[in-house]
Amino acid sequence: MAKKTKENKLSKITEIKDNIILSIQNASYQYSDATSDEYAIKNINYDFEKGKIYAIRGRSGSGKTTLLSLISGLERCSKGTIIFDGKDLKDINLDTYRNSQIGIVFQSYNLLPYMTASENIILSMDASGLKIENKKQKAIELMESVGLKSSYADRKVLRLSGGEQQRVAIARSLSYNPKMIVADEPTGNLDKQTESEILDIFKKLAHEEGKCVIIVTHSPNVCEIVDEIYDLKKVK
Amino acid sequence: MFIFKNAWISITRNKGRNILIGAIILVIACACTITLAINNTASDLIDSYSNSYQKELTLSFDRKQMMKDFDTKGEEGREQAKEKFENIASYSVDDVTTFAENDHIESYYYTYSFSLNGNSIEKAEIETESQPGSFGGRPNGKGQNKNSLDFTLNGYSSIESMSEFINGTYTMNEITDNAWDIAFDGNYVFINKELADYNELNLNDKITLEDESGNTYEFEIIGIFEDNEEEDVMMSMFSNSANTIITNANALVSIDNSNDSIKGSINSTFIIDDYENAESIQSDFYEKGLDETYVVQTNQEIAEAGVTSVKNVKSFATTFLIITLLIGGVVLFILNMINIRERKYEIGVFRTIGISKLKLTTQFASELLVVALIALIIGCCFGATMSKSVSNSLLSSEIENSITSRNEMQNNFGGMKERPDGNSENRGGNMPDFNKMSGTPNIQAYDRVDAVVNVTVILELLVIGLSLVFVSSLASMISIQRFSPLTILKERS
Repeated sequence: MAKKTKENKLSKITEIKDNIILSIQNASYQYSDATSDEYAIKNINYDFEKGKIYAIRGRSGSGKTTLLSLISGLERCSKGTIIFDGKDLKDINLDTYRNSQIGIVFQSYNLLPYMTASENIILSMDASGLKIENKKQKAIELMESVGLKSSYADRKVLRLSGGEQQRVAIARSLSYNPKMIVADEPTGNLDKQTESEILDIFKKLAHEEGKCVIIVTHSPNVCEIVDEIYDLKKVK
Repeated sequence: MFIFKNAWISITRNKGRNILIGAIILVIACACTITLAINNTASDLIDSYSNSYQKELTLSFDRKQMMKDFDTKGEEGREQAKEKFENIASYSVDDVTTFAENDHIESYYYTYSFSLNGNSIEKAEIETESQPGSFGGRPNGKGQNKNSLDFTLNGYSSIESMSEFINGTYTMNEITDNAWDIAFDGNYVFINKELADYNELNLNDKITLEDESGNTYEFEIIGIFEDNEEEDVMMSMFSNSANTIITNANALVSIDNSNDSIKGSINSTFIIDDYENAESIQSDFYEKGLDETYVVQTNQEIAEAGVTSVKNVKSFATTFLIITLLIGGVVLFILNMINIRERKYEIGVFRTIGISKLKLTTQFASELLVVALIALIIGCCFGATMSKSVSNSLLSSEIENSITSRNEMQNNFGGMKERPDGNSENRGGNMPDFNKMSGTPNIQAYDRVDAVVNVTVILELLVIGLSLVFVSSLASMISIQRFSPLTILKERS
């Protein structure tokens, strides 16, 4: 019986196309304090390909952030499966998944305020366990790649503007060269000019570096630049 | 490795919080060092004092039980109890040998005693009118002559049993060259110098004693001793032991065996390995035929009397240590809980970037460990410098309490009066020695406990410190396990 289940799972995984990095199959999520028929998201089926930008759109309470937390391995789905790079997330150590396979960018940046910009990035490199010879130099390169001056490296993040902090957060998410970037309202706190600059970075990451970028948003500006939009509806 | 780097960053960043935690641990460490040092030194002191005494076990009547029989059974019961008392089966030298066959008994000795009249010698005595039964008259001597015979003969089984010579009550004044070669076998005796002078006796003279039936027994004098005890023998010029004749147990047992009219009594002492085994030894004695009116008694109370105040200080130190640890542990736990709540966001970020719960717990525990180790070292140094003075001050106050309590008791008996020279003396004549009374504060053998911080104390302190760190780290461990990174970051948003 157990063998049959395993075979079924393998056959499902092989069905996934080569360029699909993440596949969500019938995923549902229920909060621990919810009643038996109360779901935050229910039976979601989305596929995400390499080299593309996706937007997940929906009204408040539609489960956007919940879906993002499932994709980024902060939570496990109650039902269904999420397959990343051919592997079921249930079989993967989520700490390792988060520190080496996926980069997460939040609306509120989530940087450590007592650290400098470069220290935040280096911390992420350390967490991934990557052996990088000159981590500080690598951090500066990453900062430059997202449009930050190298002189900001030793500045405490609280002394940086919102846009600069978000760039540091993106640089941090790129520090271990993940295959996928997940961003939750990354431009929600930024002005239009900065928003456009940040979106350019995401476009570059997807279209030039072949990464899969998933942005949870309800900003029309973001939806304009993405390759595909998934509309998430509130579970009734 | 980066976990420890993070821990160090966090320690230097949160100076105020870590100084507070460090100060609490420092106080705990200081208190622990002092109490542990007092405890260990006091234990060593008590052990060494107790070890300086042989662990002795003796047999005596269970007087309490007998008195109970008298009290509760009415006239008839009292008669029965009296009869029972008179018919208590005494035990013999052979019984003592049998009793001594016990794994917990290391050695034994005994004294065999009975009384005889003088035949060739006279009792050292000058009668006065007030003597018989009058107040302040001559008290009876050691080994009281039960049947009003002239001389008490004490026969010792070995040199260890000659307690009066061991404790210095008697000292040998004259002795023959081979006295100790023959002292424990044959009819040889040591007599009191007063008796010797009274009867003009010298070494190697022979004396003859007789029992109530007129049978005579000859002994040779091989030693003359002096009684050093200062006694208030008011109506007599002789000491209590003037008519005590010391010989060996074998000689007396053979006299006893040959004559039914002599009723000797035996007083045995067993050297045991541990006081804790006294009860099992008593059971063994009963199984071997000892009458149950006898009970075993140890010299534990006397052996430990000199360190009563040290014991009290030790017990106080232990209680103080437990209370300090409990309060310290709770305070540290709460402080850590608050600390963790303050650092919830940090935990959320760490978890989001994929730092495992184990690594995070290690980081938080290491932060506390570093602070605790520094505080423990400083606290240990402070404790080491203070332990001597604190322990001695505690002990002196404890001794003062004992003295006050004893003086109060003395006052109950009439008290002390001041002499013109500034010293004090007892009122009401010869006051009892309160130190020898059971249940009263005893003479303090030690008036100093120089509490020393040694390797044992440091190791114990380290174990306590690490346990405290572990207990207070539980706060962070529990929180890290419970916190969901997404919830934390949502709250922040």
